[in-house]
Amino acid sequence: MPLLEIRNLVVRYGEIEALRGVTIAVEAGQVVTLLGANGAGKSTTLRAISGLAKPTSGEILFDGESIAGLGPEAIVRLGISHVPEGRRVFPGLTVKENIMLGASNRKASSAQISREADAMFDLFPDIRAFADALGWTLSGGQLQMVAVARGLMAKPRLLLLDEPSLGLAPVIVQAVFRIISQIRKDTTVLLVEQNARMGLSVADHGFVLETGRIVLGGKPDELWGNEAIAAAYLGGHAKASA
Amino acid sequence: MDLVLQLLFTGIGIGAVYALVALGFVLIFRATNVVNFAQGEFSMVAAYLMVVFAVDHGWPYWLSFLIALGGMALLGVIFNLGVYYPLRHRTFLPVIIATIGASILLSNSVLAIYGPQPQVLQGWFETPGIQLGPVYLDSQYLLIIAVTIALVIFNYWFFEKTLLGKKLQATSQDKEMASLLGISVSTMIMITFIYSAVLGGLAGILVAPVLFVSIQMGSTIALKAFAATIIGGFGDVAGAIIGGLALGVIETFGAAYISVPYKDGFAFLVLVAFLIFRPQGIFGERVAEKA
Repeated sequence: MPLLEIRNLVVRYGEIEALRGVTIAVEAGQVVTLLGANGAGKSTTLRAISGLAKPTSGEILFDGESIAGLGPEAIVRLGISHVPEGRRVFPGLTVKENIMLGASNRKASSAQISREADAMFDLFPDIRAFADALGWTLSGGQLQMVAVARGLMAKPRLLLLDEPSLGLAPVIVQAVFRIISQIRKDTTVLLVEQNARMGLSVADHGFVLETGRIVLGGKPDELWGNEAIAAAYLGGHAKASA
Repeated sequence: MDLVLQLLFTGIGIGAVYALVALGFVLIFRATNVVNFAQGEFSMVAAYLMVVFAVDHGWPYWLSFLIALGGMALLGVIFNLGVYYPLRHRTFLPVIIATIGASILLSNSVLAIYGPQPQVLQGWFETPGIQLGPVYLDSQYLLIIAVTIALVIFNYWFFEKTLLGKKLQATSQDKEMASLLGISVSTMIMITFIYSAVLGGLAGILVAPVLFVSIQMGSTIALKAFAATIIGGFGDVAGAIIGGLALGVIETFGAAYISVPYKDGFAFLVLVAFLIFRPQGIFGERVAEKA
């Protein structure tokens, strides 16, 4: 049984049908990458999983249980942590406070959470020096590290990462992806990316979304191997970001 | 010089009341992005609760005080559930209008029960005050200042040193992200309303022996406190406290040296001056950084 299974998911924002029947599965221990252009529905898929967007129809099963229609507070308690687009680090809180709040989905003493947050800096040494800096003072790459660290503090069984490479310099993108390849040892990851090459480099499986529908799915090699499709959906982005 | 010290003491005393109400304004504004126009009525209702228990029933002052604060906490819950919660997904305008409606409801309910006649509430202490060198320290003003200092320290500790305080701050900065982390946004907003209602109530109880207990006391205090938040820098906690104290001192000196009848005018003159020359307030930059 897959850890996460989505069947025929439809999400409407008013008149607009953002998702028109999305079906994907994520096996435990995998990194699955969701590719597609702007507006294809990648972020909406993640928002529906984490409870920020209400599904109009279709099923979302986590560990076999339906979670469609639950609120975000309930879903993160089940073990799905969503690192949303734009990092959303709290600007008026320090880096360490931001990371500590990542544990709000579970019961633990603040001393315990503080220790875990300190330990998180071993995985993200680049932001250790900024532990007491306020969120708004950080650069884009640092914000991304904080956002991922905060997402991991939930001890998720499934981590949803939305465009971690967006707006970052290539060297920082590499650092972020090094971290993803470390995270995958313990956590299942559903990754949304426009940067197809980076996105598939860490993936076990990939899906391509186009205007609210999955048009292609397979192992990274198969996706690259399909010349016509790779050129249409992957090539342009890969070249642009290479 | 003696007069200056005396006026400074009185000004800080009355300013502390504005600071407490202003703090309530700011906390609710930060949590909900809405100005609560019933914040002043919290002070008025609490003062009348004191009249009910301490004067009408003749219960001990401390007991009446605790019951009144408990009543304010309950009012905070009811206010949140009745005024804010049903409209929480709407824009700020319906919510603001609802708070104005609640303000009218509260003051008219009290009017219906007590009539327009102002009531008198004694101070906490039997001793009217103490003479310290050239300055006469009124005991009620001393109490107001002491309670305000204690609350400012508590407020700092609560928001800066506790995880719950951090969750409240996170909720005020980005509700959607807070909910993604598992922070119960509706609980955080409930706590904010309870805390703000208690703060406003405390201000009303403390200032009641200095003023009369009247239907209008809420709107007078709220207008001054609102001016204080703008002078301090809207949405800023330290700004609300500094702004409140500054306003109290300015109007006290204005009344003493320029004109007593225009006492209330000075606060708004300063407000207008700030709106023209420094609309972001004293701590304005920090507000801008939050964006």
